[in-house]
Amino acid sequence: MSTLNEQGDGPAAAKVHAQFPEVTEEPRVYEGDWRVHVQPAHEAEVIAWARDELGFDLFIDRLGADQGPGANPRFDVITVTYNTLSKTRLIFVATVPEAQPELPTLCGVFRGANWFERETWDMYGIRFTGHPNHTRILMPEVFPDFPLRKEYPMEGTGDWAAPRRALGGNVDGTDGKVAIPPNPGKPGAPTKDPGKHGPIFQGLDDGPSVPSDSEGKQ
Amino acid sequence: MSRARTLDVEVAEDRRSESMMINMGPQHPSTHGVLRLVLELDGEEVISCAPVIGYLHRAKEKVGETFSWHKFIPYTDRLDYLAPLSNNVAYALACEKLMAVDCPPRAQAIRVICHELSRISAHLLGLGAYAMDLGAMTIFLWTFREREQIYSLIERICGARFTTSYTRIGGVERDLPEDFWPKCQAFVNEFPGRVDEYEALLSRNKIWVKRTQGIGVITKEQALQFGLTGPNLRGSGIEYDVRKANPYLGYENYEFEVPIGTEGDCYDRYLCRLFEMRESAKILQQVIDTIPDGPILNRDGDEALKTVLPEKEKVLTNMEALIHQFMVGTESIHAPVGEVYFGCENPKGELGFYLRSKGGLEADRLRIRGPSFANLQILEELTPGHSIADIMALLGSIDFVMGECDR
Repeated sequence: MSTLNEQGDGPAAAKVHAQFPEVTEEPRVYEGDWRVHVQPAHEAEVIAWARDELGFDLFIDRLGADQGPGANPRFDVITVTYNTLSKTRLIFVATVPEAQPELPTLCGVFRGANWFERETWDMYGIRFTGHPNHTRILMPEVFPDFPLRKEYPMEGTGDWAAPRRALGGNVDGTDGKVAIPPNPGKPGAPTKDPGKHGPIFQGLDDGPSVPSDSEGKQ
Repeated sequence: MSRARTLDVEVAEDRRSESMMINMGPQHPSTHGVLRLVLELDGEEVISCAPVIGYLHRAKEKVGETFSWHKFIPYTDRLDYLAPLSNNVAYALACEKLMAVDCPPRAQAIRVICHELSRISAHLLGLGAYAMDLGAMTIFLWTFREREQIYSLIERICGARFTTSYTRIGGVERDLPEDFWPKCQAFVNEFPGRVDEYEALLSRNKIWVKRTQGIGVITKEQALQFGLTGPNLRGSGIEYDVRKANPYLGYENYEFEVPIGTEGDCYDRYLCRLFEMRESAKILQQVIDTIPDGPILNRDGDEALKTVLPEKEKVLTNMEALIHQFMVGTESIHAPVGEVYFGCENPKGELGFYLRSKGGLEADRLRIRGPSFANLQILEELTPGHSIADIMALLGSIDFVMGECDR
């Protein structure tokens, strides 16, 4: 479909690269989305320039991404901006290494980057220096890990592992099915035959805010 | 000028009470979901407001990295749960952009119907709840009368009222039944009159006007800085509607207008939503008049062949189609290597998907850019100086939904 990939702005990406040849790489494009790779230390400066000089004034998104353990540089911080006059979009990518995952905050350029950076810290452990409120946002403050990193297992780890396995995994060989001890029942009552595989149930995690849960905790 | 300033009676410095911290939410009726606001109050006046979110976090982005492309569609229902069809469409479009799959014209028109029906439905709920929080109970009941009609239509579209999961990559799941059209036409005929009724109740209602005009003014600069989208951005006077700016689904073929506010206050955002509902009804009328015949799933071409289930008849008669059905059913789709961003004009704003694929069966990164997440952020900056009663007007006019904010 042609109209889906017409929002990218190739000329603007080329202009950004021409203005900052030292700190940006040759723009890349896929399906019309132009991306400019920027050195993390100069990211804010480049984006501020694109905002003021090229008119990419609407902040759309800032997200982290993980290339997987061992990749170098491992993390990407991607910023999506939009030009409300020319109706085009430009994407900036800053890559940060695993050893020192940090880069300067973008809050000075777009105040709206605040929560997006908190989320990136929350999910990937990428630190934003100079951020006004560098705390977790979606996960609880005491949460020990960074859950969107590739090595973090789907069902959680340690104390934070799902109490009942919500999604089929075979970490412990049970393939998502957890054996429950047979109900002792009344003494002397005939016990049901548990069948070949024993009694099993498929776990379902009924969220922190299931309407029937009046405590609002579980 | 906010009303709070006028409330600020002169109190001798030593008589002034200490500021008080108050928790509003997470289960407060006007926060529509599980939003918690930590308010610091000086009497009735809000000094600072810190929204605390995350109570509805369901790790959708993590789930997206473990599920195949098609399996994630039901998860999109639960993003903006007031407009599930719209989310389905946005996700399918993003996947189609990544995989360079076309969508046939009839499916596009059906998707426009999905989009506009859910826009009307979401705005109706937003308006009803907004008015109810400010004390106008009637509106809420009236909007639910129309929402009931829309839900019956949605039930005709996909068999479910709420968890729709209707779109597929390359089209939609099934064609619309014959009896959908007269019902939809009846709805489109009577809906503008209904909007007139809401307007008669609210637009010149003295209480409504006093509680919304001049409250929660968002300047153009603030709206751009915070990445507001949808009616919140347009209420502040910035003309950005994805349907007009970067048309998709053939929106360039439909005639409609995009309302733009002038003041950026709660009243303007209310007017924008009202106007948008009328325009959506216009678009629906045009789709009813012009919808083309043809297939509803793209089954042509090499790429499409690998993404969509073949027709049942071919599966039973053609060996290739049987293999193809087996491969799609058991293994799902291989996406090419690449990364795309696609944003869709959803009722609350721009719902964006940033998809990164390393050429596997599932996404390497599936980012959901929920408009409510960005829209809510402005509360921190907007609330200081308002009175606590104005918070209800602000929350109602920002019209967020936590399912999309917390993901």
